[in-house]
Amino acid sequence: MAESWDVLVIDDEPVVRSAVQRVLAEEGLRVASAVDGASGLAHPAVATCRLALLDLILPDCSGLEVLRALRAARPGLPVVVITGYPTHESTQRAFEVGAVDYLPKPFEASELLAVVRRALPDRDGLPKERRS
Amino acid sequence: MLMRIGTRMMVGVGLVTALSIGVTAVLIVRTHQADLIAGLIRSADQLSETVKKSTYYDMLENRRDSLHRVIETIGRQEGIEKVRIFNKDGQIMFSSDKTEIRRSLDKRAEACYGCHAVDRPLEKLPIPARVRIFRGPEGTRVLGIINPIQNEQSCWSAACHAHSRQQTVLGVLDVTVSLAAVDRQIAAGRWQILGLAALAIAATSLLVWWLNRRLVLGPVEALAAGTRRVAEGDLSVSIPLTATHELGDLARAFNEMTRRLAETQRQLTQADKLASVGRLAAGVAHEINNPLTGVLTYSSLLLRRAEEGSELRQDLEVIIRETKRCRDIVKGLLDFARATPPKSQPTDLNEVARRTVAVVMNQLALNRVAVALDLSPDLPLVSADPNQMQQVLVNLLVNAADAIGEAGGTITVSTRAVRVAPWGHTPIRKATCPTGCDLLDPSVKIGGLPAIRVSRSWDGQTATLHLDPVYGRFNHVASQPSPDGQITLFACPRCQQALTLPGGRCPRCEAPTFGVRAPGWGPVEFCSRTGCHWARWEAIERQGPHPCVEVTVADTGVGIPPEDLPRIFEPFFTTKETRGAGLGLAVTWGIVEGHGGTIDVASDVGKGSRFTLRLPVKPAEAPESRALDERAHPLQPPGEDHGRVVGRAGD
Repeated sequence: MAESWDVLVIDDEPVVRSAVQRVLAEEGLRVASAVDGASGLAHPAVATCRLALLDLILPDCSGLEVLRALRAARPGLPVVVITGYPTHESTQRAFEVGAVDYLPKPFEASELLAVVRRALPDRDGLPKERRS
Repeated sequence: MLMRIGTRMMVGVGLVTALSIGVTAVLIVRTHQADLIAGLIRSADQLSETVKKSTYYDMLENRRDSLHRVIETIGRQEGIEKVRIFNKDGQIMFSSDKTEIRRSLDKRAEACYGCHAVDRPLEKLPIPARVRIFRGPEGTRVLGIINPIQNEQSCWSAACHAHSRQQTVLGVLDVTVSLAAVDRQIAAGRWQILGLAALAIAATSLLVWWLNRRLVLGPVEALAAGTRRVAEGDLSVSIPLTATHELGDLARAFNEMTRRLAETQRQLTQADKLASVGRLAAGVAHEINNPLTGVLTYSSLLLRRAEEGSELRQDLEVIIRETKRCRDIVKGLLDFARATPPKSQPTDLNEVARRTVAVVMNQLALNRVAVALDLSPDLPLVSADPNQMQQVLVNLLVNAADAIGEAGGTITVSTRAVRVAPWGHTPIRKATCPTGCDLLDPSVKIGGLPAIRVSRSWDGQTATLHLDPVYGRFNHVASQPSPDGQITLFACPRCQQALTLPGGRCPRCEAPTFGVRAPGWGPVEFCSRTGCHWARWEAIERQGPHPCVEVTVADTGVGIPPEDLPRIFEPFFTTKETRGAGLGLAVTWGIVEGHGGTIDVASDVGKGSRFTLRLPVKPAEAPESRALDERAHPLQPPGEDHGRVVGRAGD
């Protein structure tokens, strides 16, 4: 299983997962996805991906708990929270727990890309030669 | 059985009148009758005495023919039935009716009965006992009076020696007179009185009927009609106040009740609207944002592939633009539902204005809208949340641009430092009575703020008054208006403690004053004369005018019709037909209120509108910011009364 992923998306909404996948795939990023907190944390991509996109409202548990677990499992992994109901308190707490950025829904392709570019670790960066 | 009040009153009053007049009539008739009879008895007695005296010598000298003649002559007089004399054995000796002479009467006959009722005949009788009334042979009543003829010395010592000395009564003179004339008189009198009584009863009943119809029925029917309309849900009913008596009061109370009901219903609807906005916003935001993400990202992916200038590209751009509009609407809902307390920091509103204009410039330029900035160079910093202030300005600018529309025009954003006098502006955010009862009534708002509830009394009546909570403004709401110029007594509606200030006199009209306490800010003193607009809030006046920063956003757009002005800050109020959720200005109001500031609007239809917002420079010292925590949640609507907003627009 030599499969490796650049980005892990945890969101219960299929259209959000597929949209993220499509937009990022166009940029040559390999995207893994999970529908809830438990399957997300259990996903092999947790160990290898370079960025996680995490919905704060999940069917099985709070996104903040998943964020904490992710931080515990991969302290260096940048996590961007996405939320359909951004409140001052929830984003504030997400930042306190260690999120690097947040992306309010609904977003368009360029907004997603901008956030992902900012959040991806510099050393690898986006493979710019593949973009054109 | 249905019987109208008027009919019942008529019947009742008729019966009572009939009874009292009837009794009176009977008494009058009886007295009249007794008087007539008594008069008759007197004249009959006199007649009988006259007969006795004029026949005295005839009897003494036993001149029977002469006696007969006298009795006959007298008996022929009109009204006299008979004159007769009988001896003590009941034998008729003389009579005007010759046929009965020598006949004997039974001692039980009515003429004898007066004396011979007991075993031993009486010798002297009082007048009433000598009188008898009986029916004569023709059916008419007849009055008889007997007059005993006593024995005396000349009788037994006379030449004829007809009577012995031992006899006391020799015989009886009996005069009977006809009562026919008197009875006719009595009957006529009786009918006259009965007729008058009937007339009085009828007149009284008619008067009652007419009064009832005029004074009661009309107003009651109006009230009943009004009540039916209220029952059908129409709270706009107002009963014409034609009656000046208690029913007029009732109508006034009814009108006041429906007005309050309508008001309460409106407030409930408003609160209901707001509560559902919160729920709706949270739910809608979460549910709609996911599909919107799909639409936005996929359409922007497609857009990348579409050729520049192609029809497909234009169509996709429409999809993206419209989807973004959906996003903005949802965001508006969220902003409204969330309304977080401001994170205040010293803020330069000039800076906020510049930044905001830069942010919305692109969109505005597209609509041929020019923006002019007129910023005061020495504007003091205010304590405010720059992001929320930016949101306020964005909302105002977007509104202004919408008002200008396709035609093109100018928006002027200006700032300046002003000093706002406390009079007419400073809200009383806390009010208690001397014993500490809270007088603020959140259920009644004047200009969006909870009013101060007091009770007042005059002329024996007591009513609630809601004082305008803005110092120096007098848009009080009275449950029952007191006459202009009336001095009323004010008290706490809870503990009844009087609010009168001992020794306090209104400097304008000399009337006593009353006061409420603003905890931490001393008493607020008011004149107790209705219509006298005097008040004094010493603690606030001593502070003098408080410095504010004023930001105005003026446009050259279509303007706001006067009837819409009071409602434009209400949530869901929109004139933009298909655009927006009607929350922009409600959010704006909430934010400004949350900062302890005010926002006013003035507008001329066809010329444009001007929004003026004022923020206190030093909120920590102004009374309104002290109460920040207790202040109504920004979610609270501006309330019904933007009359304040409109009224102050020209200040």
